Amino acid sequence: MSQPSAEVAADFKDALQDLKINSRPEISNLTLIAKENTEYAQAISRELENHIRTTRPEWKLPALYVLDSIVKNVGTPYTVYLGRNLYRTFMDAYTLMDPATRKAMEGLLKTWKQPVPESMDMRPVFSPEVTRDIENALIKFRTIAVQQQALSQKPGIQHNMPARPMPSVPWRNTPTPPQNATRFAAANDPRLRQVTLPYGQYPPSATPQIQSQPSISFYPQPPQAIDVEGLKASLSKLITSTQAAWALSPVDVAIQQKLKALLDLQMILNTQTLPPEQLKAAADQIQAMSPPPAPATAFTPPASIPPPVIASPQQNTSPLFPPSSTAVNIGQILANARPPVPPSPAPAATTPSLADMLRRVSSPMNSSSTPASVAPFYPPPFSAAPLPMAIPVPTAQSPALAPASATTVNLAQLLGQFSKSAATPMAPVPQPHSSFPQSQPQSSAAPLSTGDVKWLLNALKAQNLLPPGPPMSAQATPLSSEPMTRQVSANTGVHTDVDLTTASMKQPRFHLITKLYEAYPNICATCGRRFESSLEGKERKARHMDWHFKVKDPDVAKRGIHRSWYISEKEWIEYREVDEASPEQAVNGVTSATAAPKKETKDRYVPVPTDAALVHAPCPICQEKFEPQWLVEANDFVWMDAVKVNGKVYHATCWEEYSKGSSLAAPSTPDSVLGKRKAEDSIGSGKKVRAY
Amino acid sequence: MISLPGLHLSNPTPEPPSTAESIVTRTQDLLACSEYRFEVPFTRTLTIRLLTGTAEFFGTELAPSSTYTFTGTKGAVYTWRGCKLEIGGLAESEYTSEETQMMSYANAHFALEKLRERSVQTGELGPRILVVGPENAGKTSVVKILTSYAVKAGRQPVVVNLDPRQGMLSVPGSVTAAAFSSIIDIEDSWGSSPISGPSPVPVKMPLVYHYGIANPDEGSLFRPLVTRMALAVTSRLEDDKPSRQAGFIIDTSGAISHGKGGVYENIDHIISEFSVNVLFVLGSERLYSDLARKYSNRPTEEAVSVVRLDKSGGCVDRDEAYMKQLRQAQIRAYFFGHGENTLGPHSHMADYDELNIFRIVDAASDANSSFRPGNDDDDVYGSTNNIYTKATPSPMIQNSLLAVTTAAATDSQEVIRDSSVRGYIYVADVDDVKKKVRLLSPQPGQTPSNAIILGSFPEDVPGLVS
Repeated sequence: MSQPSAEVAADFKDALQDLKINSRPEISNLTLIAKENTEYAQAISRELENHIRTTRPEWKLPALYVLDSIVKNVGTPYTVYLGRNLYRTFMDAYTLMDPATRKAMEGLLKTWKQPVPESMDMRPVFSPEVTRDIENALIKFRTIAVQQQALSQKPGIQHNMPARPMPSVPWRNTPTPPQNATRFAAANDPRLRQVTLPYGQYPPSATPQIQSQPSISFYPQPPQAIDVEGLKASLSKLITSTQAAWALSPVDVAIQQKLKALLDLQMILNTQTLPPEQLKAAADQIQAMSPPPAPATAFTPPASIPPPVIASPQQNTSPLFPPSSTAVNIGQILANARPPVPPSPAPAATTPSLADMLRRVSSPMNSSSTPASVAPFYPPPFSAAPLPMAIPVPTAQSPALAPASATTVNLAQLLGQFSKSAATPMAPVPQPHSSFPQSQPQSSAAPLSTGDVKWLLNALKAQNLLPPGPPMSAQATPLSSEPMTRQVSANTGVHTDVDLTTASMKQPRFHLITKLYEAYPNICATCGRRFESSLEGKERKARHMDWHFKVKDPDVAKRGIHRSWYISEKEWIEYREVDEASPEQAVNGVTSATAAPKKETKDRYVPVPTDAALVHAPCPICQEKFEPQWLVEANDFVWMDAVKVNGKVYHATCWEEYSKGSSLAAPSTPDSVLGKRKAEDSIGSGKKVRAY
Repeated sequence: MISLPGLHLSNPTPEPPSTAESIVTRTQDLLACSEYRFEVPFTRTLTIRLLTGTAEFFGTELAPSSTYTFTGTKGAVYTWRGCKLEIGGLAESEYTSEETQMMSYANAHFALEKLRERSVQTGELGPRILVVGPENAGKTSVVKILTSYAVKAGRQPVVVNLDPRQGMLSVPGSVTAAAFSSIIDIEDSWGSSPISGPSPVPVKMPLVYHYGIANPDEGSLFRPLVTRMALAVTSRLEDDKPSRQAGFIIDTSGAISHGKGGVYENIDHIISEFSVNVLFVLGSERLYSDLARKYSNRPTEEAVSVVRLDKSGGCVDRDEAYMKQLRQAQIRAYFFGHGENTLGPHSHMADYDELNIFRIVDAASDANSSFRPGNDDDDVYGSTNNIYTKATPSPMIQNSLLAVTTAAATDSQEVIRDSSVRGYIYVADVDDVKKKVRLLSPQPGQTPSNAIILGSFPEDVPGLVS
């Protein structure tokens, strides 16, 4: 047995050494190797630990992700073997890491204290004893670090802050949840990359268009530069002129709304102390409204913009704006700012107004202070979010652009459109927020800084809330990340230009071959079936792997299997193929009724007997030996899938079958009995001559 | 463990299998776009394992960590990107080649994908593909490649096998159809039809009719069966959306591609019954030009794209001895399973009068006259009273394969002809004195009283049960 063990370990080691980044396919491949060689778990675990210990610091984290993936996806016996030295493995790596990676590791540790997501098993990944030691060490570590920092007079840098609270991870196959991994999440997680790449917003400097807009003069200005009194003065001036305009054309709804908005703004200014950033924004807005040559009618009505108007008028309005006009302005910032902290008394209930926006701006700029906190915006679970958000932004933007360059005629049109859309019932403002539960906790964190504004913009842009470039392409359909994902992974109908002619068949088209392979990067190591790298593909593969386990039932050989009769013509016409990778559904009369009780059966266990005779006795039914496992719940070594009947220990599944004569059993503990390599099986069967 | 003859020729002393394997294991590097072709006789086994890279066996990808065992196979492992294989065992012949037709087969697939994509959008029927060509031109291989690629692209094509010489998911002598939603078994030709237990490769659900004659150009059964099959497949596609979008691929016997004076009646019949709109002609220039001339001028609503595909250089002539072994292996696999999947058939006795055997009227004698050009379909359909003759068991039927139909013994001959097959039973022994037969049946239980068809094909399989 030692030889194959060494061989497998060497294979695993080779594969490990190629792992230098957080690459999903490689990690899942390694996990698969581990999964299929559970009988060599000890050797593999040792190899993995060695690798983590010896590899370069920057490659340790991916290796740790392998460990994480193995213990979460395979579980025992790896949790046992890896758990033994986990403290050393973890802490040795931790001490060598840079702060960002440490955070990622802390995140990992956090998930180990919880049960495997989506698993029926409620036990934590590693037993609390194991994780507690590490945790204690980390606390000490941090304390020391903080003390050192205090000594070195650098209180501002707090890289040893406890890991950010991480939501319980909603998928199972992930090596590591990207939310908590700061720079790895940003740069290396393929899933993230998939979504973010199309927007090209990473890193912050990737959005020069916005920052270089000439009219955004307020960014560089220090926040203190705003004169509140002056602002109030110009605001009241504006109000006066707007009133005059309204007097001229009292039927103009737009002016009316504008006036109302300005009044609202005035009220806010008078009643509250706004953060400087907002004040400045408001000032800019007012400033922008004032100068136009025909002030009587050229007011911009930010107030008339119902932020979440679904029937967006962008398409009509866009041609009105010269491409060079401001792409970023108060409207955007206001409309997209984060949830409300100071509840404003502004009378904004019916008419969506500037006040409304302001209200939502509460602590606008800090909502995205670090790249890390941007990351949570993209994960697919939130894919629905950009859709509702995407529309309001361009809308909000439009009027703000108007004063900069538009003529009065255009403005009038614009206003007309806005007032029309204002009539449509507006979607409740909190809706978009609820799609971003993650962003909320962050909005009360860091102090303001000018750089933060850029981050906000980046963040917005990343969600496709802002149009990508200066010409505020109104046709920029609000891309939700969902279609985006589909596009990336889709393999169909993109550029299939092959004609069905004899000549066309002979042209080499090697680029198309990627549709057969690279389009589905996630390969099943057992049968070669490929899956997409998307979340759905992952789920499908998980079900597919479950199916593999199920059909590898070792008891089956003992039951006489025979060929079934073919189905009749009518049955065949009505038959629908069952894809083992699809969610179980009761088609063709097949139900999944057996699934639930089976789970219970195989979760039964008995403590490993102390009686020497019993310890070595195999299951009397299948003659296979029991394998001891550490069970945390029982706090003892146990035999899983076992029952004790009349002083003898049977496999629970064997016994159930024997006693009930039940139908096809699902396999019992997969790792112990089912982890055989197909290679071995087929070698054996090659010699098997059917002895009939 | 019984050692297989041939494998241990060099070392007659029985050794543990692992060492025997490791002695003969070697690695084979394959450049991108080349293939490793091998022939393994039925007496040996060859194992192939993919070490690095990607590789496919007639379109079905090799899994990275599985060892595939081949016996009685003439096959090729192709790689688009280059790969390294670990090969164990001795092949009868093996070589690598960089001249393959895979690019054109892949192009064919992508052209079909275009049609399927259109079908997804418009809801119309997906591509109806017919593959024709002379014997040993690689028709079945192309069908497999197209099917595998379609499955890989997430489609669910229906494959129709109209070549009785070689069974698909059933025994030779049958014509079958099955929808493929899961990968094709690499070791076991097309895979397995359902068994009473789990299978390592998803089983396929075939619809089986019994033809019972080797050559589609003989006798009066082929065309009615084509018609019946077309009806069933078309009905299935009515409501089965994934299959409707993917369409179907028809594999045929080389015999129908010979034609008589440039007229290919059976091909015409298949095209019209199945509303074929894509016709792949493999190898034969003459066949291509004949068919292209005939089908290029059809009105657009029933246009047929006639496309010629080159025959792969890897195609080898399979002699009759090999074909016979292949058929026997298929029949054996029907009862006893393939590879690791050993099945246990049931043996039981039946009285002579329990069996309602209908023997197909031997048409060999008038084969030359029955399908002369000029004979039109009415003749075939009209004279249906002499399809079968009722036969009583006799020692003559020993070792033969009987098709159990879904029709009752009292049904008319047309109904029996058009009914699908529930399964096959094998006559292991006939005791003419006691008027009893010993039957091998795939499943326990008494022999059904249904009509049972006895044909001249496949030939007797002596010694299936010893």
